[in-house]
Amino acid sequence: MDFEVINTTTSDELLKAIAANQNSNFRIGAGFTDLINQLKKQNTEELTIINIAQLKDEAYTQIVEEADGLRIGTLATASDIVDNNFIRENYPVLHQAASKLACTQIRNVATLGGNICNVSPSGDMTASLIALKATCHIVDCNGGERAELLSDFIIGLKKTTLKKNEIIKNITIPMNDHHNIISGYEKVGSRKSMEIAIVSLGYHIQMNNDGTITDAGVSCGAVAPTIPFATSACDFLLGKDIQDLTEADKEEFANKVMEYASPISDVRASEWYRKEVLFNLSQTIFS
Amino acid sequence: MMQITFKINGESITQEVKPALLLIDLIRDHLKLKGTKPGCLEGECGACSVIVDGEAINSCMYLAINVNGKEVITIEGLGDHENPLDNVQEKMVEHGGVQCGFCTPGMVMTTKAYSDKCKKKGITPTREEVKKSLEGNLCRCTGYAKIIDAAEAVYEN
Ligand SMILES: Cc1cc2nc3c(=O)[nH]c(=O)nc-3n(C[C@H](O)[C@H](O)[C@H](O)COP(=O)(O)OP(=O)(O)OC[C@H]3O[C@@H](n4cnc5c(N)ncnc54)[C@H](O)[C@@H]3O)c2cc1C
Ligand code: FES
Ligand code: FES
Repeated sequence: MDFEVINTTTSDELLKAIAANQNSNFRIGAGFTDLINQLKKQNTEELTIINIAQLKDEAYTQIVEEADGLRIGTLATASDIVDNNFIRENYPVLHQAASKLACTQIRNVATLGGNICNVSPSGDMTASLIALKATCHIVDCNGGERAELLSDFIIGLKKTTLKKNEIIKNITIPMNDHHNIISGYEKVGSRKSMEIAIVSLGYHIQMNNDGTITDAGVSCGAVAPTIPFATSACDFLLGKDIQDLTEADKEEFANKVMEYASPISDVRASEWYRKEVLFNLSQTIFS
Repeated sequence: MMQITFKINGESITQEVKPALLLIDLIRDHLKLKGTKPGCLEGECGACSVIVDGEAINSCMYLAINVNGKEVITIEGLGDHENPLDNVQEKMVEHGGVQCGFCTPGMVMTTKAYSDKCKKKGITPTREEVKKSLEGNLCRCTGYAKIIDAAEAVYEN
């Protein structure tokens, strides 16, 4: 492994480095937990890494509560997310996804932006953020900014809408309308620890004081080329009273989640098994 | 080459390193500290765990240049003249948590970082939490029970 590194410590240096490398082969490096394993397998002689691990800009590093939601810098690590009390209380789906990612040593360096931009169907933090209807805030090297729903940002296996002159700065999650929530992240692997998901299910459902479901977000990991947001399953729940959900309703919900699954068979699990697990997980979230 | 300045086991040093150099190679090959072990070199086994600014990390998944300005502690940095073994190491000895020893430095460094954090917060973790704290460390010999006993005993007075 041999490559050049441009170290950036301010956003100004970062944008300049991106601008200066538009005609060369470069990659952004944050926590490097995906990158190093990838770079070891390829020829890196002509490659430049723009290192953002030492970037000090708070817009990229901090987790901030704002009036209309939560803003999380791209460089927040899985450990930063696990340790954040606001996230633990308001967005259990994200807390659980981050704490089920790999192990302490990886969580201490693995960043949120790296998880999103690695665009794996089994990216745990990414899957939870899709259920939370998160928005990506993207800057380009000329200082331009745009915002895009995370579920639109990811367009296929290993594909996003990110252009060569752009980088993710942070993401925002809308504030909960109600305190009454059912929120969690189920991850099934072939063992409990250090396992990439065979299937995962992220859900974040809000009810008003009467128990009527007012908002729902459900995402399915590792069962399709992208991490789908299960729109029809969410729509099915809206307006229903959580206490009145029948077994038939739960089954119909699970069937609607299944519409989004087009899993493959691979060494870790068969297509059939992945579908069974997703169906069963979907039914159990209300019990 | 890039210049980095950092603390290793209490001592401040400056080094010229190749930008692609991994922290594990800086520690083992440049600084000749061989206690940090290369196992899988893919982030799976934890044998290469060291502490950077109080947090356990895998040194095989970390660029050396990114310790610039930081404090690194390896297994050689635990203990001193008066107390040659850290409390975590003593518990590993007492509970028979070491067989071939290859995983031991990683187990000790992970437990050291975790127990220091727990102590700072004034909490005593449950056995389940102690187990979870070691989920990134593999051992081919012991079957884990004795290592977990040792890691739990760190919280006894
Ligand atoms: C042993 C092991 C176990 C793992 N287990 C899990 C697991 O259980 N669940 C899981 O989800 N993942 C897992 N991973 C994968 C990895 O740790 C995560 O995806 C992590 O969040 C990646 O973050 P990073 O900061 O290390 O990314 P990097 O490796 O630094 O970067 C990953 C990609 O994102 C790009 N990138 C990073 N930041 C930005 C940005 N701001 N803007 C644009 N592009 C950017 C990089 O160019 C690169 O293409 C595991 C990895 C290892 C080695
Ligand atoms: S050698 Fe680093 S995790 Fe195995
Ligand atoms: S004692 Fe041999 S690997 Fe753990």
